[in-house]
Amino acid sequence: MNKQNNKLGWLFASPYIIFGLVFFLGPLLWSLYLSFTNWDLIAPEFDFVGLDNFRKAMAAPGVQSAFWVTYKFMMLFVPLVTAMSLAVAVVIQGLPKFKSVYLIGFFLPYLSSGVVASLIVQGFLSYNSPVNEFLRGTFGINIDWLGSPFSALFIVGLILAWKFTGYYALILTSGLESIDKEVYEAAAIDGVTDRQRFWKITLPLLYPALYTTLILSFGVTFGIFTEVYQLTGGGPNFATNTWQMEIFNQAFTNLQAGYASAIAIMASIVTFISIFVIRKLLESWGKRNGWV
Amino acid sequence: MVGSKKYSKRRLAGRYVLATLLLLVMVYPYLYMVLNSFADWAQVDRQLVPSKFSLKSYEWLLTGGEVGIARPWMNAFFNSVIVSVASTFLMMLFGIMVAYALSKLKFRGRDTVNNFVLFHMFFPAIILLIPNFLIIQKVGLYDTYWAMIIPKAISLWAIFMYTNFFKAVPDAFIEAAKLDGASDFKILYKIMLPMSKSITAVIFLFLLMERWTELLWDMIVVRSDNMLTLNVLLSQMFGPYGSYPGPLYAASVLLTVPIIIMFAIFGKKFKEGMQFSLK
Repeated sequence: MNKQNNKLGWLFASPYIIFGLVFFLGPLLWSLYLSFTNWDLIAPEFDFVGLDNFRKAMAAPGVQSAFWVTYKFMMLFVPLVTAMSLAVAVVIQGLPKFKSVYLIGFFLPYLSSGVVASLIVQGFLSYNSPVNEFLRGTFGINIDWLGSPFSALFIVGLILAWKFTGYYALILTSGLESIDKEVYEAAAIDGVTDRQRFWKITLPLLYPALYTTLILSFGVTFGIFTEVYQLTGGGPNFATNTWQMEIFNQAFTNLQAGYASAIAIMASIVTFISIFVIRKLLESWGKRNGWV
Repeated sequence: MVGSKKYSKRRLAGRYVLATLLLLVMVYPYLYMVLNSFADWAQVDRQLVPSKFSLKSYEWLLTGGEVGIARPWMNAFFNSVIVSVASTFLMMLFGIMVAYALSKLKFRGRDTVNNFVLFHMFFPAIILLIPNFLIIQKVGLYDTYWAMIIPKAISLWAIFMYTNFFKAVPDAFIEAAKLDGASDFKILYKIMLPMSKSITAVIFLFLLMERWTELLWDMIVVRSDNMLTLNVLLSQMFGPYGSYPGPLYAASVLLTVPIIIMFAIFGKKFKEGMQFSLK
């Protein structure tokens, strides 16, 4: 029995074990090795250059922008998506009927491809679009939406917020549903105002669900690619250049595989540390307020 | 609001109005896409709601129009179907198998494998992009369906979700089945899977959706025009179709509709599963 279990266990786990070795552990080591070379993705020979790639990357405007752009997206996207999903969750929470119809409606944007979302936004904001015609005709202003640094960043952030709001609202709704109704009844007897109820009761009790959506949304900002690739290519002047965009450009446009590997490693380290710090900050913030 | 019956009808109506308005804002981009795909070409991206309609954009999807090879869109659509279906099927199959081993089969080294999965999950995937691309190239799979399927045959998230779910199934069920002479395959098929129907709907939809809309990987491992997936083709046509946005909207509809249909089919199970998985 035991021996048979042993064999069967390895058999069932083998797809992952093989995959993990071939597509994770091997590549991880290879990536480390490549990052110390100047390989150009084509030539058979390449040199071992030590830490040169890392030194070069630290000084490169592309890498520096990728570092900061992530946090800029974070400052835009996280508050935006949190506020939107919280609003959606609170508004649909009280509906006696059609709640799931609404929930599914709000979830639809999550199903769309980043390419499709980019296409729609690009058309919507093109020079002759109704929006721009209106702005020109009424206020006499011409906005180059994707050509100015802040608005380009803002638009990508808005697309992402649009996409993730319904998903996070779903998480927050089940958080709201799990709150004990007696708490509200007790509060109603004590004559608590709506605002007090939201800030003093709903939010603290919702914190576990909110924590989940916050962690997820912080994570999203480290993996932005499609929308940026499609709409701005990382521009204007690196204003929307994310880590993935920079790595893609260096590896597959400039064909600097070694250098791009070094950037990928830097990106991983930065992501890892950032997420760790964010987790700790969120936890201590929750604890300080007595929410967890 | 939760649990209070003291809200007046007027406030409730206000809530419905607010919810509907919010929903309209959220789905407006989709409406814009659908309307523009049917709009007369002179009106595409020129009006919030077009007034003249034509099917020319969809005609181009079937014929390829003036740009590129003969039937690029339909061809890409079928590529997308092949790749997504194969990939999602494998991700589900291996997810279930591996999760069963990690949760219910006591084999030596299980903890090691378990920890390795967690370690793997915490690793930012971007670091693997270049070496995985090189592996595909070195083993001669570049520009094939396999390049898009094999590296996407395992989903750590699916393994993680199924492992957690299977752990909650009491061992007594399995032991009882074993006493009746059921094999592990049979247990998996007859007990574990039926019990995890709703979570399966969630995992399946998320995997399919992500696979169907994947851009970066599919873009780098495939080069030939007739191998592109619909999402990649759409992405590439941004430039050449610049002056013909109509067909791009039609292709967007083609890319969005299948996933919405799947969602509609599994919608009810999906909601149950979401509620379960979020507990």
